[in-house]
Amino acid sequence: MLKSLNFNDLRQKAVRAIDNRVRIITAGLGLDELRAVMRGDPPTEKPNPRYRVHTTSFLFHIRPRYYEKGSTIFTHTFRLGFFTSFFFFVELITGLILMIYYTPSPEAAYQSILELESNVFFGKLLRDMHRLGAEAMVIFTALHMLRTYLTGSYKKERSFTWFTGVILLGITLGLSFSGYLLPWDQLAYWAVTIGTSMAEAAPLLGQQLNLLLRGAPDIGAGGLLRFYLAHVVLLPLGAILVISIHYYKVSREHGISLPARFEEGNVPPEVKKNAKSRVDFIPDLLTHEVFLTTLGLLALLVAIISFGYSAPLEHHANPQQTPLDTKAPWYFWWLQGMLKLGDKTLMGIILPTIIVLLLIAVPYLDRNPHRSLFKRPIAVSLGLLSVMTLVVLSYMGLPVYGIETPAATRIIQDIAPEEGQGPLYEIPFDQLQPGVYTVSETPPDELCPTIDFGCPKLTEVFLEFNNRVIEAATNPNLSEEQRLPNPEAVMVIEDWQQDLRKVTLRIAWDDPRTNQRTSYEKLVFMHRDHIRE
Amino acid sequence: MSNSPEQATQKRVPVNRREFLNLAWLASLGFFTLNIAGVTYLFSMPRFKEGEFGGVVNAGSVSELPAPGSAPLNLPVAKTWLSNTEAGVVALYKVCTHLGCLYNWNNQQQKFICPCHGSQFEADGSYIKGPAPRSLDRFVVRAIDPNTGEVLAEAVDSPLPLENIPANAIIQIDTGKKVTGVTHT
Repeated sequence: MLKSLNFNDLRQKAVRAIDNRVRIITAGLGLDELRAVMRGDPPTEKPNPRYRVHTTSFLFHIRPRYYEKGSTIFTHTFRLGFFTSFFFFVELITGLILMIYYTPSPEAAYQSILELESNVFFGKLLRDMHRLGAEAMVIFTALHMLRTYLTGSYKKERSFTWFTGVILLGITLGLSFSGYLLPWDQLAYWAVTIGTSMAEAAPLLGQQLNLLLRGAPDIGAGGLLRFYLAHVVLLPLGAILVISIHYYKVSREHGISLPARFEEGNVPPEVKKNAKSRVDFIPDLLTHEVFLTTLGLLALLVAIISFGYSAPLEHHANPQQTPLDTKAPWYFWWLQGMLKLGDKTLMGIILPTIIVLLLIAVPYLDRNPHRSLFKRPIAVSLGLLSVMTLVVLSYMGLPVYGIETPAATRIIQDIAPEEGQGPLYEIPFDQLQPGVYTVSETPPDELCPTIDFGCPKLTEVFLEFNNRVIEAATNPNLSEEQRLPNPEAVMVIEDWQQDLRKVTLRIAWDDPRTNQRTSYEKLVFMHRDHIRE
Repeated sequence: MSNSPEQATQKRVPVNRREFLNLAWLASLGFFTLNIAGVTYLFSMPRFKEGEFGGVVNAGSVSELPAPGSAPLNLPVAKTWLSNTEAGVVALYKVCTHLGCLYNWNNQQQKFICPCHGSQFEADGSYIKGPAPRSLDRFVVRAIDPNTGEVLAEAVDSPLPLENIPANAIIQIDTGKKVTGVTHT
């Protein structure tokens, strides 16, 4: 009976059957061919089955068959566009998972983030990835745009691709900004309040626009829901549509631009021919993309796990209290800087609109046919000037610029900020020795002589308090706002309950503007078991 | 066929039936799209009930108001400081015109001071000093006859004078109508 079975035949049949199934899934690549792709060997069949994949498979039909060799040089693109879309997919996937635990209502949103961070496996990791990925996506979008500008790749037939890119920049900022509100903490609430109140400055439609965005005159349940829906439905749909158009133009119509050095001037024919030679998508570009994806994921994880990136979460949003130093998200600091320079309507709406229109019009305004950096000195210097202007404006958008906080408030808030970490909170509980420590009376190096282990951290914080108050009291070069004439400053530490101590920071001074005795103070309760992040 | 003499001589009509119908469908679709845009706009626009911020809020009768020149009244529901100045009643929107912080009344210095960046305003909302670009925003204030509901007086961008208004009249704040403060130079 055994003899009647032809094993060889059976094996061949099985292999052929498997091969057939595989070909159906891979849209034409057999087992041998797959192996060859993995190894980077030449195609095993003729005609080349790797090209057929691009017409028969949906996922591959939007990918190019090949790129020109010159355009794949790393220092030409730095893979910035690739990483922008990589982070978009990271956001899509982590965002979908985070939605499982998130509830978009002012009562439940903050609670659901706390739950996510403390009581969900990998919840904190996913939130950190989502937040970091969002920041990275904004950064890479901007860098990608800058690269395209510097290599002159927006010219001629690629001008429409540039236009879709400008729209994508807007969508990316919108996605990031709408996500900012969702944790419903103080950081989110006030950053978005500032951001949307810029919209209110728009002439004629401002108030309507603001009502549409917020669903009420101020941000509340309606606004949170609207931002949430924009963040998870409207903007991602828009992004997918425009990314598809943007990418289709690149992959199927014009390809990635060649570096200008292969196209302009006296290029030897063999160099030009080499630059225009094809690099097939399968296997070379695909292999490279797999590598880049892995690298990107690794970088995200290393940033979070090894470098300790942690998505910020402040106290629950409180519409009745604005924290000191409230600022917009970092990619809108330039706008906040501009708002400090002049009228809200002019600086907040009219100028930004002109900037966006100019950005769209770049390919049509720039009539210079050259693409090389050295042959377009005006365009390149204008570009670099804009980048520097943005950086300076962003600096001007920070609370340190142009906003004078009264000295007492500044000193006390620097030592014990309303949100986040501060020197006072870093003092170990046992070093908080009850007592009254008075500036320029208590010797700042001998705060607790009775305990043998001393209180170095408390001493350090008190010394800072002491020195800054004395500086503000004695330095004659400071402005009226920054001076503290005739100050009385104390730091009082009291035992309040078991394992709970109350720290009072108080400064009283003669206000030169009103000639009255004025004081500012702040109370902080510190518990033995409380760990501040 | 297309070269037949009859067809060649036949005049090409400017708009044939198919083209006309297609244009008609497209126009209807365009009209329909506009409709949907309008409906979506109205749908998304929040509406406000009486007593809710964004709608009309009652601030009590004239007799219950603080005496002229005394500390302004904090009305959290209306997000308003109701200030009774010598010139009349003003309803000030609680949000600083600088960057949207909430300012407070400082009773010692008799003015509004914003804790964030130190902008200062008079009791009637006019700008004194600080980074704020303009005076405080106001809401429209009305005095209503409690029996008939008739509007006795309305103030849009000036204080509402109380001289000729009966003590039982109701003061209403229309938080849906905000008047932007005067920009200073």
